[in-house]
Amino acid sequence: MVRIRVPMLPAPGELPWSASVNDTEVDIHVESNAILLDVLRDQVGTLGVKRGCDMGTCGCCSVLVDGEPRLSCLMLAHEAAGCALTTVEGLADGHHLHPIQETFTTHGGSQCGFCTPGFLVVISALLEENPEPNEAEIKAAIDGNLCRCTGYQQIVDSVRAASMIITSGKKTADATDPMPDPHPGMPTVEVESEELEVVPDE
Amino acid sequence: MSDDDEMVGYKQQPGKLPFARPGSGGSEKFSELRDESRIPESQGGTLAQPQGANRHDSLITGAAIGRRTPMVDSRWKVMGQAKYGDDIRLPGELFGRILRSPHHYARIRSIDTSAAEALPGVVAVSTGSEAPACFGVLPVTKDEHAMAQEKVRHVGDLVACVAAEDELTALEALRLIEVDYEVLDAVHDMRDGLKDAEEPIHDRGKYHIGDSNVQKRVFQEFGDISGMRDSAVATHTSDWYFAGANHGFTEPHAVAAHWEPNGRLTLYTPQQVPHYVHRALADVLDIPMHQINVYRTAVGGGFGGKSDPFPHEMCAAILARKSGRPVRITFDRDEVFYVNRGRHPSRLGMVIHADSQGRLCGMETDALLDGGAFASFGHVTTYYNGVLHTAPYEIGGFHYTGTRVWTNKPASGAMRGHGAVNSRCAVEVGIDDVCEQLSVDPIDFRLANLLPPMSRTITGFRITSIGMRECLERVRRASDWDDRFRKLPLGHGLGIGCGFFISGSALPIHWEPNKFPHATVHLKVDMDGGVTVHTGAAEIGQGSDTVVALAVAEVLGLPLDMIRIRSRESDTSPVDLGSYSSRVTFMNCNAAISAAMEIRQELLDATSMITGAPTERLVIGDRRIFSKDDPAVGVSYLEALQKAQEDRGALASSGAYRTPPMGRTHKGAAAGLAPAYSFSAYVAEVKVDVETGQTSVLKVWAAHDCGKALNPLAVEGQMIGSIHMGMGQVLSEEMRYGRSGNLLNADLLDYKIPTVHEMPEVTPIIVESNDPEGPFGAKEAGEGPLLPILPAICNAVYDAIGIRIHELPLAPALVHREIEKRCKELGIDDPLDLPSPDLEHSPLHHVLRERADEHSVRDLERKLDGERDQYHNGALFGLDATIPADEQDDSWTAVVLPDEQYLESPRLAGSAWLHVERRHQGGDA
Repeated sequence: MVRIRVPMLPAPGELPWSASVNDTEVDIHVESNAILLDVLRDQVGTLGVKRGCDMGTCGCCSVLVDGEPRLSCLMLAHEAAGCALTTVEGLADGHHLHPIQETFTTHGGSQCGFCTPGFLVVISALLEENPEPNEAEIKAAIDGNLCRCTGYQQIVDSVRAASMIITSGKKTADATDPMPDPHPGMPTVEVESEELEVVPDE
Repeated sequence: MSDDDEMVGYKQQPGKLPFARPGSGGSEKFSELRDESRIPESQGGTLAQPQGANRHDSLITGAAIGRRTPMVDSRWKVMGQAKYGDDIRLPGELFGRILRSPHHYARIRSIDTSAAEALPGVVAVSTGSEAPACFGVLPVTKDEHAMAQEKVRHVGDLVACVAAEDELTALEALRLIEVDYEVLDAVHDMRDGLKDAEEPIHDRGKYHIGDSNVQKRVFQEFGDISGMRDSAVATHTSDWYFAGANHGFTEPHAVAAHWEPNGRLTLYTPQQVPHYVHRALADVLDIPMHQINVYRTAVGGGFGGKSDPFPHEMCAAILARKSGRPVRITFDRDEVFYVNRGRHPSRLGMVIHADSQGRLCGMETDALLDGGAFASFGHVTTYYNGVLHTAPYEIGGFHYTGTRVWTNKPASGAMRGHGAVNSRCAVEVGIDDVCEQLSVDPIDFRLANLLPPMSRTITGFRITSIGMRECLERVRRASDWDDRFRKLPLGHGLGIGCGFFISGSALPIHWEPNKFPHATVHLKVDMDGGVTVHTGAAEIGQGSDTVVALAVAEVLGLPLDMIRIRSRESDTSPVDLGSYSSRVTFMNCNAAISAAMEIRQELLDATSMITGAPTERLVIGDRRIFSKDDPAVGVSYLEALQKAQEDRGALASSGAYRTPPMGRTHKGAAAGLAPAYSFSAYVAEVKVDVETGQTSVLKVWAAHDCGKALNPLAVEGQMIGSIHMGMGQVLSEEMRYGRSGNLLNADLLDYKIPTVHEMPEVTPIIVESNDPEGPFGAKEAGEGPLLPILPAICNAVYDAIGIRIHELPLAPALVHREIEKRCKELGIDDPLDLPSPDLEHSPLHHVLRERADEHSVRDLERKLDGERDQYHNGALFGLDATIPADEQDDSWTAVVLPDEQYLESPRLAGSAWLHVERRHQGGDA
């Protein structure tokens, strides 16, 4: 039988599922064995969560479950029922980018961008817990995420720069403003790489 | 200039000028003064030009290039709004899945799809019989089909496809398709591909080479072939095995196809080369190209792995046509490995000769490449394995035999550094060994053997700018080479490696002689002042959208946020040949600059009409066009634009780029020809645990000559990323095939891509050699930076433990085995007692240093000298530099066919020439 999906009505095998996704309450029905990643992408519509390997090896599907980074491809949706989920779409504060979103653009943390959502949520959790991570702590936080473009160095640079923005209390760019432009006079948050050696390694 | 009253027309106060409403674009309300420190000396500015002037200097406004610029599409990416292949969701879409072969090689006796079709929820099922047309990325080797026609050629080869209402139904339908296979004898070892087979994997008809699985063979001899062996005082010989590598991009392939209500197909695909897909689709679907719109989604990493037209793209289109609904196919990760197109597993024989003067008197390369089941880019790869190591050194002889064979594995293809990576590694390690034999420093040796700017290689490639010398000198300084090389304790080592790569192929793949430009860019400027750039160049994360925006912004003096890039759809973009062979910055920016020059001229003319100042005295600053003589005389960009639009509305222009004619005429001469070449030199520092064989890279000093860094942030990103990818191939990445030929690690857990912990600290050093034909002097930076890291690490491992290992990856087990072997040879019990190599300079050292100093002066003179005489490879060996060597000396040859003497004892890949093509086999063929 071809099943026409009516979101309000549960199909056989579906159970009610609710969670707060990026501060929005979501009440839907999902299969009892549905994977969180599939629910987020196919039913909730947060396509920013990326599917890279389906087996927890690449980290592209990372989301925050009650503030903790988790791999949504290895998690049943019902495990996350009732939790507060944050995806990359939920990182910005209104129009204002999260500092790590801003520095990923300014410091080259993102090239093809497919792994970026995973990195961003993992790093945002790190910075939430530890606004001034040292190099070892940064590396430990992102070692479950694969990036094939950047070689990680510019990602680590981005984390350091984001850490400086957070500790300095500067404001990040407004996403409704035009893209920061390197033209002189543009109001971008300038963080020079040389200034970044703030926290020595343990 | 005095401000006397002779000038009529517009006059404003100099300094920070406000724009009249509605403004002049950009997010700044004021026009900044022109930044003279960004204007080249040749244009009266203060920007130093140690490498001389460039043809684009007069277009520099100081607006954009040369600054660390965030990617123009980065906001989409960091906010999760970039739409990749699988993010295209169309109303009413169906899920497509592909049935793949479980056999390495089998004949399909029959396929029964009736049960699958009867399954509720299945909308369309298709098999190979519905799409008999063949395709392939190279027109000369079209050997792929949407789905298997008669035979399946590797595990994972496409057999049938299904579109269903949901994914589980589609998977169930695949299970219900009954296929009757007759299993055939498969070829797994590339060496077996050289032999005659009962049933070769493909049949090329009269062009088939014997009854073998040889897909392509190349023979080349240039230079003094017999002389090189006679005059050699040091010879390196090695036999390498390079395992296959996969691109490992994070986004699995995904495609969506929709047959629109107007009868046209829209294909959404993350493609590096949308134009070739466009062509292949037209062939396979048998519809004209204009009925197809190829929409390039955001590409989650390509590295060459998304540059073939793929069978699954055809399948999606076929299913969409059959079902009348949109169809989306997304790969699982293992399917990515079965599509592959990664680096060829290869067996390389390398011989390097050096003579008593410390010159590279010969290179003999023999490359056997495992092509897997299809040709893909293999024709080109087979040439690249040889011809791309004929520079940056001046060499006395070059002998190359290369063969690519079909085997029953997923097809190999183009991967970052296409065809040049493995052989470059072998060459550079060979040079290191030759230096060891001659007791000279490998950097001095290289510095004394470089080709100068504006020269020709032994195979006739035209070198324009070459920053190799500066690269070597700068990594030498940065790494403290002279004090540390061969002086580090056992287990620690430094190594050098160099690279040379094309900056765009001079011969486009779809080659209809000179009928098409390589790149075309359209510009449109309407009332709002924003510039829309239409380009077909595929943004795959390397920053092609950004760099073309930079080029346009620079010429027009606009901030970057006034440039809008439209590069996605074939409906609106001019044809671009795609993001491969490191061609985009060079060719697309050149096209963009020539398009922007037209708009610029119209703006200058309009300004001249308003202000009365002569056009040739006008310059462009920040959104303002003014007189060189009196900066107060000028108008804003928007005023000039609206004047220029008075008669005809929006300004539009088109610019194109085509490579100049170049190169020699022998068979295969065009392979490796490029309008410019990039150069790089890396020093790597490694630590090898002699007890476990574990190798880790601690530091890399990486110098890359990219001509001119239009966006240094992106160039450094490319360099560091290349190091990551190359290091993976050296240390851990390998597509492992079991004894029965099965791929053992088709997932990212067992295919070991380095994580952040393995990544060394990289010091990127950008060298700007200012290429005469590059856009503002720029060359490529996307692939060349990968080449030197492999040999640099291999040479560093030798410096650390004194053992040369000619196999990659250098997995701990392999290194450990080699250490044990060496200990046994030397009669040492404890590997910690292994001798660490040292270096005592021989007298030749001074000869090399002197020659390097002389050449350094020669190179700078040639660079700055407008009258550049021809310099042909061979001058170092006493020949006249102005004439190709083989035209003045009979002992220097240029041959592309083996003679009988060679065929008496051919090397491994060379033995492919023992077969005779069927058309030459005479009556019994």
